[in-house]
Amino acid sequence: MNPGIVYVVDDDPSFRTALTRMLTATGLSVQSYASGGDLLTHLSSDEATAGPGCVLADLRMPGLDGLQLQEACAEASVGLPFVFLTGQGDVPSAVSAMRQGAVDFLDKCAPQHTLLAAVGRALERDANARASRDRHEQLGRRFAGLTEREREVLEQVVHGRMNKQIAAALGIHERTVKLHRSAITTKLGVRSVAELTTLASQAGLFEAPRQPCP
Amino acid sequence: MSLVTTLWSMEAAAALTLAVLYGVVWTVDRRNLANLTLCVVAIAMAAAARTEVGMMHAGTVAEYGEWVRLCYLPLTFALVGQVVFVDQYLGTGRRWLLWTIISVRLMILAGNFLTYPTFAWRAVVSLRHVPFLGEQVSVVGAVELSPLQWLSVASNVLIVLFIADAALRLWRRGSPEQRRKALVAGGGVGVPLVATIIYAQSVVLGLAPLPLLVTPSFLVTMIVMAVELSRGFLLYRQTRQELEELRSELTRAGRVTALGQLATALAHELSQPLGAILRNAEAAEIHLNSPSPDLEELRAIVSDIRKDDRRAGDVIDQMRALIRRRTLEMNPLPLSELVQDVMSLVHSDAVARHVALDYVVAPGLPLVSGDRVHLSQVLLNLIMNGMDAIQTSPGSNKRVLIEAQPREEGKVEVAVTDTGPGIPPEAIAKVFDPFYTTKSGGLGMGLPISRTIIEAHGGRLWAERAPSGRGLTFRFTLFQAQGAAS
Repeated sequence: MNPGIVYVVDDDPSFRTALTRMLTATGLSVQSYASGGDLLTHLSSDEATAGPGCVLADLRMPGLDGLQLQEACAEASVGLPFVFLTGQGDVPSAVSAMRQGAVDFLDKCAPQHTLLAAVGRALERDANARASRDRHEQLGRRFAGLTEREREVLEQVVHGRMNKQIAAALGIHERTVKLHRSAITTKLGVRSVAELTTLASQAGLFEAPRQPCP
Repeated sequence: MSLVTTLWSMEAAAALTLAVLYGVVWTVDRRNLANLTLCVVAIAMAAAARTEVGMMHAGTVAEYGEWVRLCYLPLTFALVGQVVFVDQYLGTGRRWLLWTIISVRLMILAGNFLTYPTFAWRAVVSLRHVPFLGEQVSVVGAVELSPLQWLSVASNVLIVLFIADAALRLWRRGSPEQRRKALVAGGGVGVPLVATIIYAQSVVLGLAPLPLLVTPSFLVTMIVMAVELSRGFLLYRQTRQELEELRSELTRAGRVTALGQLATALAHELSQPLGAILRNAEAAEIHLNSPSPDLEELRAIVSDIRKDDRRAGDVIDQMRALIRRRTLEMNPLPLSELVQDVMSLVHSDAVARHVALDYVVAPGLPLVSGDRVHLSQVLLNLIMNGMDAIQTSPGSNKRVLIEAQPREEGKVEVAVTDTGPGIPPEAIAKVFDPFYTTKSGGLGMGLPISRTIIEAHGGRLWAERAPSGRGLTFRFTLFQAQGAAS
């Protein structure tokens, strides 16, 4: 499986070349950019691939610096994980980088295995994020097939109500509730109430009812 | 030749020698007026000696009267010279008293040449001949005194008071050196003067049948003045040497401080080539481990490694140059190159802080005379200060501007302006005080050291509000190098 693309961003041409060379030699696909602006332009163009990736960026750069690039990516909903490289580990930058969700913060002269491990973690994190995002979207599509009334019934079911209670709450006949329930299980392709509940919580539907304090 | 003529000639010769010596000293270094006063007193002494011999050898009343009259001219200069010497040397004289004495003495001198025979005497009635140093000399027998003679006496008393007062005031300040100066100058000038006044007055009033003489006691005064001034030279040289050493220490300390600022920037500069070398080596390793290594790629890698190694070496050379040198090494320098060098050093820092660095060098700017390393340090310090100042202001226009332009009298002025918040006018003078700082991590030594360096170059460094009204401008002057323009 394609592990993804490493986007290298550094204004220093010789370091950029060397880093790209090394990562490429280990078998990674690398694209390098001289500035954060260049990367953003590429990501918003049609050439950008939808596959997983991560950004390996210098912290100090003219124009957009590393942290600003990270912010810009977040604003553009490009959820690429970041690994920062810096000439000197200044603590405030490291703190704000990690707070913004950077995977790692490394010295430019960090050992190879540390660097590769960080890149590997970043790519893995992106792959996982993409997978869960896909599953989420899929679920969303499945639940989107339900009618308004079916959703109301589903909510009651998920909250553990009996058919009789549901009928009373929604002011409909108990038999109608049964019809709705079978329509729901058919549409979502589930067999038990437990499965239904799990699926609904995975899709992030219906908050659990607040339990009264004992 | 008579003994009187011989002795008085020797006295005059000694005085003239001192006059020439201190005259030369004063023309070389005009800051110390005391040297000029000794020169004046010594010339007056020589002239007074001549008039004294004239009086002693006068054959007639009229001739005697002429010499007494002439005697007033050197006497005035000798007295005024002594008073100014005391004022300059002790520095505690009352100025109004000084000016009163000078004006009264000049008035008496002018009056002296309008009356006959002198300002103080209406007439010389008779001469007497008395034995003096083995020969018969003429001394005044009877004179008709003018009431104005008491003005002359009063002015002399004023001089004594002035000297005593100045010496006493210095004495009260209490340091051993101050007390010594007060004692020597007050005693060495004041006591002979009092002796002269009493002696001359006794002669004039006919109490003692002796020649009218001032130079023997003034000779003592002159020797005291000369000894004190030469002592001053020795102390001055010693102090100057100590100052030089101190300055050298200070600039080195300054470089260490500046290095702290620099270390951050340099660490970044170094990490680029070192990081590149490491990654290239790792890439090469991977290629070498493959069954068919890509030789073209390996060659490119090795060439890049060599290039980056040189780059790292250059950075280290720059740093070494900053630590090593102690003394000023003056060379003709192109300012634009110097400014560019420093700007490249702070470049990455400026980038990281989003500060725009600009510089404007007037076309045809002449080379300046200066020490490259020291001047770089001053520029570095001013630019870093500017960037620090900007950091604290929230504005969007973050800019440090460096300007260089020629000024009158062969000077070149460099200005470093920031767009920071500036500082209140009353604090501007304080920024050069040691340990004055507005930065939490600052030592407060950068600016005093920079000022020391610029002053060692013969220039001036000062601060003022930026011309735009926002931010602060530091300006310093340098002298242009002799010769061609850059």
